[in-house]
Amino acid sequence: MTLTLVTLAGAFGSVVRYLFEYALRRHHPALRPWATVAANVLGTTMAAYVTYKFVTFGDAHLRSILVTGFCGGLTTFSSAFAIPAILQREHHWGYSIGLVLTTPLLCSAGFLAGIALAH
Amino acid sequence: MRATISLSPRQLLFAVLAVALGGAVGTLVRDLALKLQATQAPITGWSGYAPLAQPPWTGAIPWVLLLINFVGVVLATWALAQPLRHHEPNDLMRLLVITGFFGGFTSYSSLFVAFDTLWHLSPAGCVVVALGALASGVLGAWIGLKLRWRP
Repeated sequence: MTLTLVTLAGAFGSVVRYLFEYALRRHHPALRPWATVAANVLGTTMAAYVTYKFVTFGDAHLRSILVTGFCGGLTTFSSAFAIPAILQREHHWGYSIGLVLTTPLLCSAGFLAGIALAH
Repeated sequence: MRATISLSPRQLLFAVLAVALGGAVGTLVRDLALKLQATQAPITGWSGYAPLAQPPWTGAIPWVLLLINFVGVVLATWALAQPLRHHEPNDLMRLLVITGFFGGFTSYSSLFVAFDTLWHLSPAGCVVVALGALASGVLGAWIGLKLRWRP
């Protein structure tokens, strides 16, 4: 049962990430890679919040569904590096390095913010 | 950068379904793979007769997740650089494979949850693993660009 819900939550998180990208690409095509950064930061913040808010053994299922499922689907490691790789190949070096470095920094800040929100 | 592209409601529905399907399968495979590590090497709880003993921090290194993320970067970069090279961002195959499957398969947030566990065992170890994860992403993307193979 938990496995089914984790899978569905992962699908839902992935769709939210896509809609983010779609909306940004429609209005600001050049900013599109930042949608992936935003999804990663939002997902990491939420993962920290859930991990620190729902701490008991009885919350294990909820944590799996929200952290492994939803946040796992919302965030992506593959696109966080694949998109900069393609940008670098198209000679957008600064953009590429900027994306690779800002993502972990913003995610660290997001994680700490998530912990703070949970307390 | 590509020109602005808007989808019709029908196209958007198919796009969402492609991402949902890929994301579901990717998440399922990741969850099952992570359970494999969890059953083999429990990293929490007490060991033997020393319930207060700290487990070594190396036992908390998320090897399976690091491997999942590395493989995901290599294959997604390779796919974007070669077979899907001329596919548009809203192409259903690209949405199914890149945005959906590899997006759901790999995870940035779970990595940070694992870093947090590591931080409480060994801050220095956590920094080493975090830098290693970043390096694995850069290396994976580099390998993905260099791969010559085409189906």
